[in-house]
Amino acid sequence: MRLIRKNSILYIMMLPVILYFIIFAYYPLAKGLQTSFQEYKLMGERPYIGLDNYRQVIHDPTFWDALWNTLYIGGGILLAGFLAPLFIALSLNEVMKSWFKRTAQLVLYVPHLLSWVVIGGIFIFLLSPDSGLVNLLLVRVFGIQPVNFMADEAWARNIMIVSAVWKDMGYNCILFLAGIAGISPTLYEAARMDGATRWQQVRYVTLPQLMNTMKVILLLNTLGIFRIFDQIFVMRNPAIAGKVDVLMMYTFQKGIMEIRIGPAAAASFFVVLFTLVLASVVRKTTRFDEV
Amino acid sequence: MNIEHMERRGWASRTFDALNALFLILLMLTMIIPFANVIALAFSSGMASMKPEIILFPKEFSVEGFGTVWNSLDLRRPFMNSVIVTLTGTFLHVLLSSLAGFVLIQPQLPGRKIMVSFILLTMMIPQDAMMIPLYLVNQDLHLINTLSSLVLSGMISGFSILLMRNFFLNVPYEMCESAQIDGLGMFRIFTTMYLRLAITGVATVTLFEFVSRWNMLSAPVLFINDSTKITLQVALKSMITDASATSGNLLITTNVRMAGILISILPLLAVYPFIQRYFMKGLMLGANKE
Repeated sequence: MRLIRKNSILYIMMLPVILYFIIFAYYPLAKGLQTSFQEYKLMGERPYIGLDNYRQVIHDPTFWDALWNTLYIGGGILLAGFLAPLFIALSLNEVMKSWFKRTAQLVLYVPHLLSWVVIGGIFIFLLSPDSGLVNLLLVRVFGIQPVNFMADEAWARNIMIVSAVWKDMGYNCILFLAGIAGISPTLYEAARMDGATRWQQVRYVTLPQLMNTMKVILLLNTLGIFRIFDQIFVMRNPAIAGKVDVLMMYTFQKGIMEIRIGPAAAASFFVVLFTLVLASVVRKTTRFDEV
Repeated sequence: MNIEHMERRGWASRTFDALNALFLILLMLTMIIPFANVIALAFSSGMASMKPEIILFPKEFSVEGFGTVWNSLDLRRPFMNSVIVTLTGTFLHVLLSSLAGFVLIQPQLPGRKIMVSFILLTMMIPQDAMMIPLYLVNQDLHLINTLSSLVLSGMISGFSILLMRNFFLNVPYEMCESAQIDGLGMFRIFTTMYLRLAITGVATVTLFEFVSRWNMLSAPVLFINDSTKITLQVALKSMITDASATSGNLLITTNVRMAGILISILPLLAVYPFIQRYFMKGLMLGANKE
């Protein structure tokens, strides 16, 4: 008791955080869960309707489309967004001139800093059929007909993947480089003593030593799959919506646009569930906890 | 270093170095060319910017795009809203996260373990999936259409608290103990010693938060529909993505859009040098596990 009184100032320092999390983290969770079992009305009583909202979501084909889009786009970003920065980090690591290495890191990191509005806007503009840089190149240099990338269902998802990987490439690359910087130089010295070539040093020293970094990055990026929203919100258009609307977009549409709060809340909890399941699967398969 | 150079004189090795450099240069060009394009268009005249041509340098140099976007399209107001939300939000975020981080390093504090789990648990809830519930809560609190809703959104995060805690753990705890013996209160110890000694941490969290707040999109989209309260990103979004965007009877030419993009990037470019300095350190310490 004396200890508690002595530390009262510390508790006061902690108080805002506790209050904040109760109001803006735990309460929304409870409120959302409650709403997902209710028929949401703007006025008056909100009767409990059991699992009706969940049933509605399950029977909504758009929900399954959104899930499939999420897995396709998210999976693509996860895979390419892991391999590309790893490859680039290894490539950067072979660069001897430190000014070149620094400049490259600096330039590659810039897109990560910018908002999806900016990056999405630039992509939409670059890919536009009449005045976009990409199509101008296709037409003038290669003599191909212009492609209306942003209105073509066949291109839509892959454009989302490419732009997301492009945006975060530099960031993930720095994470890998930080991992590489942590590898003990004596390992390389020993490898060179044994006559290892540069490639062999990468294959038998860098890559195995980088395993833990890879696991961390993989886990972090996996959790990102279900969070995709800003990008799609900016880059979608009616022509490709069916191919690129992800789960968060679905909840947003249901809840805010159609004001069907009940099903939207139910859909949110599917997302929470998917995230938790996916996270634990990745933890298990990468044996993350043994890091 | 010298020995390495000697070893790498072989022609195969040198060819590899050349190809490797070429690869990286091409990669950088995929970043540089689009931005050169954006900058060039922003400084071109309206007519020139609409022509289907590859423009990497301004054509018919003019700054009319900036004038149009700032005055006629009134980007000033969303810009100021973003400034207010970003500065207030970042300040409160850093202050409150640091306070909590400081409390968590006190070894003798009863209930510390519970507080840690309380915070860790919030990190398990995917915040983005809470979009709809958060909307309902903001509605209940009458925060819809206020800038406060944006300041409150993500005002504290478990991640920042743990990051600050890790930075504070690097300060020898004996300093806190001896200061207490000298009669200094905990709050004074926090402000005069810990915040200063962990200035790298404060800078790291500030920068992270500044950037993510400036770029914040989903919260203003959810909570704000009053056009006088929208933020820069939202204003920019409607300007960029509506293909035939017109405002009243004013045609939005490409140079205007690109000028808008550049204006929104400026504050980020201003903090970029600092990010370079603190980023790595922040990540290393933040990645330390419990």
